Amino acid sequence: MIPELNRTALEDESVEVPPPVAGFIDISERLTGFEAFDLYATGMAQLYHDTTVDQVGREAVGRFIDDMAAAGGDPDRLVDETSRDIARAVTHLWYLGVWPALARSVHRALGREKANVAFTVAPEAYPEGLVWRTFHGHPPGAKAPGFGTWADPPPGAPPLTPPERAAHGAGGAA
Amino acid sequence: MSGSAHPGRRRYDVIVVGAGMAGSLVAKRLGDQGWRVLVLEAGTGTLDTWPGHLDALDTFASAVAKVPNSPYRPNAVAPSPDVLDVGGLPGGGYRAHGYLVQRGALPYNSDYLRASGGTGLHWLGLTPRMHPDDFTVRSRYGYGRDWPIGYDDLEAHYRAAERELGVAGDAAEQADAIGLPFPEDYVYPMREIPRSYLDDVLAARLDGHAVQEKPGSAHTTLRVVTTPHARNSTPHEDYDGGRGYRPVGAAGLPNYGERCVGNASCTPICPAQAKYTPLKTQAAWSRDVTLVTRAVVSRVLTTSGGRARGVEYQEYDDPAAPASVTRTAEADVVVLAAHAIENAKLLLVSQLATRSDQVGRNLMDHPVLLTWGLMNHPVGPFRGPGSTSGLEGFRTGAGRRTRAPFRIVIANWGWSWPAGSPGADVARLLGMGDDSAAPRGRGLFGAALREELGRGISRQFALQFEMEQEAEGRNRVTIDPLHRDLLGNPRPVVTYDLSDRVKRGMAAAKAVSDQIFGLLDAEDHTAYGPGPFAPGHFRFEGRDFVYQGAGHGAGTHVMGASRETSVVDQWQRCWDHPGLYAVGCGSMPSVGTANPSLTMAALALRSSERIHRELSELRRPLTVRTAHAPEVRP
Repeated sequence: MIPELNRTALEDESVEVPPPVAGFIDISERLTGFEAFDLYATGMAQLYHDTTVDQVGREAVGRFIDDMAAAGGDPDRLVDETSRDIARAVTHLWYLGVWPALARSVHRALGREKANVAFTVAPEAYPEGLVWRTFHGHPPGAKAPGFGTWADPPPGAPPLTPPERAAHGAGGAA
Repeated sequence: MSGSAHPGRRRYDVIVVGAGMAGSLVAKRLGDQGWRVLVLEAGTGTLDTWPGHLDALDTFASAVAKVPNSPYRPNAVAPSPDVLDVGGLPGGGYRAHGYLVQRGALPYNSDYLRASGGTGLHWLGLTPRMHPDDFTVRSRYGYGRDWPIGYDDLEAHYRAAERELGVAGDAAEQADAIGLPFPEDYVYPMREIPRSYLDDVLAARLDGHAVQEKPGSAHTTLRVVTTPHARNSTPHEDYDGGRGYRPVGAAGLPNYGERCVGNASCTPICPAQAKYTPLKTQAAWSRDVTLVTRAVVSRVLTTSGGRARGVEYQEYDDPAAPASVTRTAEADVVVLAAHAIENAKLLLVSQLATRSDQVGRNLMDHPVLLTWGLMNHPVGPFRGPGSTSGLEGFRTGAGRRTRAPFRIVIANWGWSWPAGSPGADVARLLGMGDDSAAPRGRGLFGAALREELGRGISRQFALQFEMEQEAEGRNRVTIDPLHRDLLGNPRPVVTYDLSDRVKRGMAAAKAVSDQIFGLLDAEDHTAYGPGPFAPGHFRFEGRDFVYQGAGHGAGTHVMGASRETSVVDQWQRCWDHPGLYAVGCGSMPSVGTANPSLTMAALALRSSERIHRELSELRRPLTVRTAHAPEVRP
């Protein structure tokens, strides 16, 4: 069944359509240190939001949002251990694409009816992990940068002058 | 080439047990010569197609622990050992579950893969040759076992293997830095894989400097040397007398994978298939080779006179369900190529080759000591092949009389092996330990987390000291009727330990590492202690060590000069059973410090020549055979 379109709302330009999972992204910016633009660009925002709700439940997510607001949006000021562990888990998810095991005490406190084990939420999540971007890297097994690129100095590294670059090992490259 | 038909009623010239690297090469050579070859593979052939390869990449991406077997679907019917099967205990010691039954003082800490393509699907792809001294460790240095053949006997086969596998390297540098003999003007099929930036940093700070294993001992001069790889690079125009070389691309996708693109995941899977896998050899099999997957060989059959006549195998449909049909296949020659441990298991189950009492004994690996630290500037870890260079100065020499020699591998993938980076770094900075029951730290968030991760991971590097382990009768594979798999086949029971010679080698390696870190002006973060991720923990002379396995299982059907003391002869023929060959690393009497696959491939190609001769002799016209003098009986 296609829901009946609310024509009035669509035609009324004053009705703003919020970006998807805006609240989740807002908090995730504070957790990860990456901007919303980068977080949306992973293509994982909706899946990570849904995974979080699925893993800890709406109630706990609601308390987590309230606690974040009370902490002025600074995750370091979270006092409640359950909210703090959710903060750890969501950050872990963004950095690695992996939902982690929660602290056993938090798992118990939430009364979760699922196994408390780490899992990669989707094959696509792994290469989108933010951790690779913290050091200008790429995820092993994806986004291959090309033959011989591993010989280049990374950002922040001194280039090696010719006497230091040996005669051997250029692989025929100029 | 592949067959879903039931070949049981057909007679073959050769049956090859196992579609891994050695088996695929033997089948290729014999099929090219027109022999009818049946290859029986215990595992599945899910990677034979490009969609199957893509599925393995997804499985890899989804794996939380990206261990060597992680891309490959588990198979309950033909199980494989996994490095995750072995865990350390808090106070030292280890616990093992999974396919291998472990009874040793220390764990056999390595895996292999039962699937078409075998462990050659997840190997790193490094192809150094063994050092000539490695073949005579008993006569020259007084330990382990000698080979009945030497480097010179294998040299031509090394070259043949370098062609079959497609090796990229710098032969002149290998000759100069290591002392490996090559024919004059020999070049590898492809130019060397370029060195990583990390290699160049190490070369700039280490080359020409000398280190000592202990005060008063001889000095060894350091030199960073590029490593040969079975990985597509730039073809060498001078190869093969100027005929050059065409890289072999992906199996199943044309015009792809003809050069490494730096996925940095060689182990466990090369997405581009620029790394050699046995699937490439299989793709070039002639029509005379028939592959049957999901066929677990359960017994080798012999005539009353002891000659090999075929195998019994269990064919199954569903890798999750232990329902199978038992069949037999017959041939004039049976070649076991199922991995060192599986070959030994099959001989033991079949009660064959018992005369020397050496089947299953002399199990060896390359125990690996890892050291790791942070450089004082970014080095760009997690880029390129797992290793592109090493330090080769400790592979042989007088030190070998008292301690194991070692090869130092420069690891391009940060602390992934020693510390589980970068996942473990994220967890640690978030205050999460390995144990979810332990209290958690406050954790770092936001920009502070992002910056701290970048500052640390960008400077990570590691060294891998690959120790030679010598043949010892006590390190062995046995079977026990109490321990069986789902099809009722005995599981390998492994008894494993490290000798004091190996442990002394590790102590020397650590001393060398300390000096290297000093020369590099690097922060050393190496720490050894018992724990869940340290099943290879032991104490030696008052100090803690942790070793890893290299996945280089060898020695279990050892080659020798006498039928009284060895299982196979120099052609990998079982002394006791005409027509039965056991090929692979299991034949090696010593493993030196070189990654063993290239040597295994060279041996397999050498044996293929002998099998061809044997079959040719058997097929001579009857008139020629009757020309032999009649047997005289007393």
